[in-house]
Amino acid sequence: MKLSGDEVREIAQESRLALTDKELEGAVRYINDFLDMLDRFRELDLSGVEPFNFAETISCPLRDDVHTPFDNRDAILDESAHVEADYFKVPRIMEG
Amino acid sequence: MELYELNLRSAAEGLKSKKFSAVELFDACLARTEACEPHVAALITKTEELGRQQAKESDERRAKGEACGPLEGVPVILKDILCTQGVRTTAASRILGDWRPPYDATSWALLRKAGAVLLGKANMDEFAMGGSCEKSAFGPTHNPHDLTRVPGGSSGGSAAATAAAYAPFSLGTDTGGSIRQPAAYCGVYGFKPTYGMVSRYGLISYGSSLDQVGPFARTVEDLHLIMSILSQYDPMDSSCFREKTYDFTPREGGLRGKKAALVKEFQDFTLEAPIADAMKRVRKTLEEAGAEIIEVSLPVIARYAVACYYALAMSEAHTNLERYDGVRYGYTVQDAKGIKEMFEEVRTAGFGEEVKRRIIAGTCLTEPKRSEEYYVAATKVRTLIAQEFAKAFEGADFILQPASPTLAPKIGASDADKMKEYEADLYTLPVNLAGLPGLSFFTGYSDSGLPIGLQLIGPRWSDAGLLNAGLVLEERLGSPKIAGGGL
Repeated sequence: MKLSGDEVREIAQESRLALTDKELEGAVRYINDFLDMLDRFRELDLSGVEPFNFAETISCPLRDDVHTPFDNRDAILDESAHVEADYFKVPRIMEG
Repeated sequence: MELYELNLRSAAEGLKSKKFSAVELFDACLARTEACEPHVAALITKTEELGRQQAKESDERRAKGEACGPLEGVPVILKDILCTQGVRTTAASRILGDWRPPYDATSWALLRKAGAVLLGKANMDEFAMGGSCEKSAFGPTHNPHDLTRVPGGSSGGSAAATAAAYAPFSLGTDTGGSIRQPAAYCGVYGFKPTYGMVSRYGLISYGSSLDQVGPFARTVEDLHLIMSILSQYDPMDSSCFREKTYDFTPREGGLRGKKAALVKEFQDFTLEAPIADAMKRVRKTLEEAGAEIIEVSLPVIARYAVACYYALAMSEAHTNLERYDGVRYGYTVQDAKGIKEMFEEVRTAGFGEEVKRRIIAGTCLTEPKRSEEYYVAATKVRTLIAQEFAKAFEGADFILQPASPTLAPKIGASDADKMKEYEADLYTLPVNLAGLPGLSFFTGYSDSGLPIGLQLIGPRWSDAGLLNAGLVLEERLGSPKIAGGGL
């Protein structure tokens, strides 16, 4: 086993996901099976191989940097349950 | 013939020659939808009021002699991963709640501009993660040919709705086979365009370097028409690249003198008997149509494509799904203790099991201490895969292969061994890794009445040629019948 239960729980926490003990058990088995599958990569000599790029998009296509106001601002704010004075409001971030 | 039975071209022509109105066609399709939906459950949202209003406006435009688009008055169903302004868009996830996007996906905007009217939003596997349409927060969709079976996925609702004639066509998305496999299971034609051919703007992201929007229809010619509308440059999607425009006018005779390849390594893998028989039958059909059958060798793809795909798809999914935090839209909680607690409560309750699994796996692979070994290695394996395809296409015009090793499986029969389940995607996902186009086409029915589909793939930007080859195959193999839809 490459990853322990504690390690998987820590990764889940980084992803902002809470797991029950039963879910954790399943996740540990799943991740370890998955990493075993990825071990196949070791059979290949990848030295000198470049990471993938679509040939057409080696250079990053850029739009002109023009300010284009979005004309449906209210529709965006309408979708949130956490709006105050036209701003999104989030719980306290700093302690104290 | 009932109006709902018309394919796209016939429906568009009938409207143009005023044999029937857009409202009449819409109501016929809606009645068909309402009759089948209790059995098939292909839709998450029906847009009867909006759609009828759009149909009415279409009739008015035509009556006034205003310019009409090629889809003027034709109903369409969209996979519920494509944003529709003011219409609930869920990606089949609880976490998006009743989100009404403030803008349209470019693909929907193009169809609307061409005159299409919206009938509904189709069910799918949550965030397009799955191959059966069972992993939806809204429950499973049933195959309209056999309600005990899955329609495939992730675009299962779009495929099922087109097969049962809710509408003449629909849109889906394909990240690793999500158009081609359900098209095969449901007995319709499904097309995954070259990555970059159709704008992804307004498509809720899963694996951004793999996702592509594409159509389902009941004839190949209809796919040509839809692609002629969708294949537009869009400055809102940096991958939507254009050196030239592409001509999707249907042209027959697309197979004479062409080289169609079979993959040497795939011949060792087990296929269900009807699929293996179809491979033999279609091989013969290709030869009769004047194509030469050759063999290509794809050893890297056969052994490494599944691992490479899932490493990349999960890594991209983990990044794309970071945005769901309950602050700006969708499912949320009130009175959380702090911001971390809020994010965790929202994401834990909002995401389904498979999505959580893939987020955790993606987080794991992209952590600094592991990324070189897994994520970066996968991006390099992807280069080898694209090179292997490019070399194969130096000597071949098309590759013929299954869209799935099986016919549509029974609902609830998905493999407990997840890695085994992922391996079944070997026939579809390499196409996404290399950004190639793929056509899933109907070949006939099994003894038990299930449709059998296969797949033709081509080099990048060969989309129109692939569809033209599809015309020949449809002419020789026959077109699919409309599925019973439980009636």
